[in-house]
Amino acid sequence: MARIYEDLSVVIRRSKVALMVLAALLLLVLIFYWKIQVLDHQKYWKMAEANRIREFPLSAPRGLILDRQKVILAENVPSFKVSLVREAVTDYDRTLEGLSQLLGLSQEDLRKRIDRYRLLPTFEPIVIKDNLKLEEVSIIEARKDEFPEIKLEVEPRRFYPFGQTGAHLIGYLQEVSVDELRTQPEKRWRAGEMVGKAGLEKQYNDQLSGRDGKVQEMVDSLGRPRAEISRTEPQPGHNLELTIDFDLQKKAEELLLGREGAIVALDPRSGDCLVWASSPSYDPNHFISRFSANEWLAIINDPGKPLENRVIRGLYSPGSTFKIVMALAALNEGVITENSTFFCSGSIEIYNKEFACWFKPGHGLLNLPEAIKNSCNVYFYQLGRRLDIDTIAAYARMMGLGQKTEVDLPGEKEGLVPSTDWKRKFLRQAWFPGETISVAIGQGPLLVTPLQMAYLTSLVASRGKKIRPHLVKSREDQPAVSRIDLPESIIEKVVEGMWRSVNNQGTGQGAYQPGFDVCGKTGSTQLISRETAERLTQRGGELKKTHSWFTGFAPRDNPEIVVTVLVEFGGMGGQTAAPIAGQIFKAYREKYVRQTDIQRD
Amino acid sequence: MLDRRIFREIDVLTILLMVLVSIIGIVFVYSAIYFQASQFVWRQIAFLLVSLLALLVAIMIDYKFLLSISIPLYVLMNLILMGLLLFGRVVANTRSWIVLGSFQVQPSELTKIAVILVLARIFSEYREDRMSFKAFVLSSTLVGLPAFLTALQPDLGTALTYIPILIGTYILAGIKKKYVIIILVVSLIAGVGGWNLALKDYQKKRIETLLTPNQDPRGAGYQLRQSKIAIGSGGLTGKGYHKGTQSQLRFLPARHTDFIMAVIAEEMGFLGLLVVFALYFLFLYRLFSTVWLSPDRAGVYLAFLVAMMISGQFLINVMMLVGLFPITGIPIPLLSYGGSSLLSNFLACSLVINVRMRRFAFI
Repeated sequence: MARIYEDLSVVIRRSKVALMVLAALLLLVLIFYWKIQVLDHQKYWKMAEANRIREFPLSAPRGLILDRQKVILAENVPSFKVSLVREAVTDYDRTLEGLSQLLGLSQEDLRKRIDRYRLLPTFEPIVIKDNLKLEEVSIIEARKDEFPEIKLEVEPRRFYPFGQTGAHLIGYLQEVSVDELRTQPEKRWRAGEMVGKAGLEKQYNDQLSGRDGKVQEMVDSLGRPRAEISRTEPQPGHNLELTIDFDLQKKAEELLLGREGAIVALDPRSGDCLVWASSPSYDPNHFISRFSANEWLAIINDPGKPLENRVIRGLYSPGSTFKIVMALAALNEGVITENSTFFCSGSIEIYNKEFACWFKPGHGLLNLPEAIKNSCNVYFYQLGRRLDIDTIAAYARMMGLGQKTEVDLPGEKEGLVPSTDWKRKFLRQAWFPGETISVAIGQGPLLVTPLQMAYLTSLVASRGKKIRPHLVKSREDQPAVSRIDLPESIIEKVVEGMWRSVNNQGTGQGAYQPGFDVCGKTGSTQLISRETAERLTQRGGELKKTHSWFTGFAPRDNPEIVVTVLVEFGGMGGQTAAPIAGQIFKAYREKYVRQTDIQRD
Repeated sequence: MLDRRIFREIDVLTILLMVLVSIIGIVFVYSAIYFQASQFVWRQIAFLLVSLLALLVAIMIDYKFLLSISIPLYVLMNLILMGLLLFGRVVANTRSWIVLGSFQVQPSELTKIAVILVLARIFSEYREDRMSFKAFVLSSTLVGLPAFLTALQPDLGTALTYIPILIGTYILAGIKKKYVIIILVVSLIAGVGGWNLALKDYQKKRIETLLTPNQDPRGAGYQLRQSKIAIGSGGLTGKGYHKGTQSQLRFLPARHTDFIMAVIAEEMGFLGLLVVFALYFLFLYRLFSTVWLSPDRAGVYLAFLVAMMISGQFLINVMMLVGLFPITGIPIPLLSYGGSSLLSNFLACSLVINVRMRRFAFI
């Protein structure tokens, strides 16, 4: 075979060297693969698992809100929402164009919305639009293969069947804010989730929202689910049963229609709130939609402040209703007895200053029950002269003024009970005795909320029994009853005056209900700002200078209901507030007091 | 001319190994793109049959005849490449395809065979112990021209596969140290110049990615990251055929072409990878062993350059999957999906078999 013409040994040797180098390189590469596949296997295995497994929340249906007769005030209805999964987006421009076409939203709005959530992980879906119409749902469904980054989901959506009625009480839901999302201590909320932002929805958010479940799904590189791995069912939220009587609530809101004001009614035996009306109101259903910036602004900028829950956030001068506190203080301090009389000539000069009674001709000689009945200012000026401000403040506080009632709603205000300390601290001035005279008829720097007035009235009605006003039926029994530090006999004397006020041609006679023994006290406050007055005249309404108060209870013995009414710019208390309260008493009586009782009267 | 002895000397083992590796490729292409149309697989099977037929036809033709027509062939292929640049249709962002009805052919793959033939032809007469400057420039130009034309398409991946051929030539012809230095200097200048002038942004990005793979998980680094996850999560024994989450859920890019080895590693594990490596290395060894059996210098060059071309691509690909080389879009010969690549690799190997079966021809 020696037929080789040429000597190829050199090139063959070179090729063998090349082969050996190649083999060595391949061996090195294999070692590298060994490291990745065998030594670092755990690390890459976890990465692969993280790649393919995604957790999706299953939202728990929110608990219902029911009134005391189980009328549904807040429920859930199914609705469609569409969200965007950013990690599946390949071309933002295409996605945005497609979305804006499908949903009829501007690309700019979409961009803004997506930008708001840029700090969240990209696999978390961002809700683009909710409460979709059926035709939108079908359009998206038809084209969902073109846009794998878009997710269409059904979610339970909050619905308030009565709209405006009870809005302040129930509150509303809104999308959890980005700040809340980022600062939440443990992972409770996810982007786009609706949480209670006001009222009971906020106060009882934890009970209502239940616990979300979750589903682990295997997804592909575009985030599309391929199979389910595990599932934890959501735990529905607890229902909330209220003490509110929705029939009375509706009645109260009808009575306030077109007015600004508040009505609160409660049961002095238990603290159950029966009515909680604040006017003007708003429709909380509008807040549920995630895209309602304009409506939101319109509501915020409304001069009537419809969002304000006037029952606990409206601060008003108590006016003559404060005379209840004055009477209790004077009796208990022994300054007067029920039979002490003072003469009212229509005005009185104290500390070289003239103080007028609201009734110019004067009430003549009157005792305490008559003074309460007629709401005589001069009588109470006399009491103011005999009591110092700190004593008055102590009694006012005892009756619940100047502090929160601890009702189960967020945002309650404390109000203000002036004292020498307070004035020194905040105004850096000494208290003038003349100011005490103003405070004696409920003017001056006193500020109370309608609920505080109702609580005060409840103390009188129950002859001193303390209750805690509340909106949600408590499951456990009432805590041991405690009393305020006033003898029943003293309170009884004030009740006599309040009874006369309604039943004996007093200032509160507008609240009179035959056979129901309503007791009450009216009040009018003089404070008014110029802008508010102008606004009212522009609306064409007649200009009334005073807020109108009535607070009372019924029946006189074993009272069942306390009603407090405040009508802003309603004029004299007896004119507006008392008749409204009368209507509430009437409605209550017709519903709760047995027919036979009424017939017997 | 075709006597019986030649037929007896046909290297059946190499052909069997080639078919085996190709079938392994098809099996994993099927797994990798299961969710997509299975016509990929039928197409590849058809191409395998066509390639096998082409190989059997090609080995009938004496390689000396092929060498004799190598120069016109080389010129023709370069003209086609130029024509493509001027008139070619853009397919997948490059002008690298000739569209013939429903088939597309990538001439840059076939050009490599012409380049190997022309190099073998020239160096068959070359008996110097060391490479002369003239030979250095000539060989570099012969390889550089089509590589350059391919890079312009732009198809940097295929252009890079010319480099092992050139390196093979340098090795066999015995390159002097000073030329190595010249090469390094020239490639440095070309590299700097190319980086600033010629490379497209995505190409730069890929090279940057090699250095910092975790910086941009959804961008260029994504491919490398997913490839490493696929390989690493496969472990020693793999997740099982058709059960690789990285490939089945499409996290792995180009699963049926450039990243087919990652699919194998994920589903069959390190042991499966070892088997495929071993088979492939056996195949490469058969190509190299022909070099030692070759009757003449031209045969040595043919067998060695083809072996270098295929092993070079294999090496680059498996390095690229784990981040030892930038991701450039180089498929593994025979294993990856791709008709033109399969056909041209079978034809290239036919040259080696051709040389081996005719080693006793002159007796």
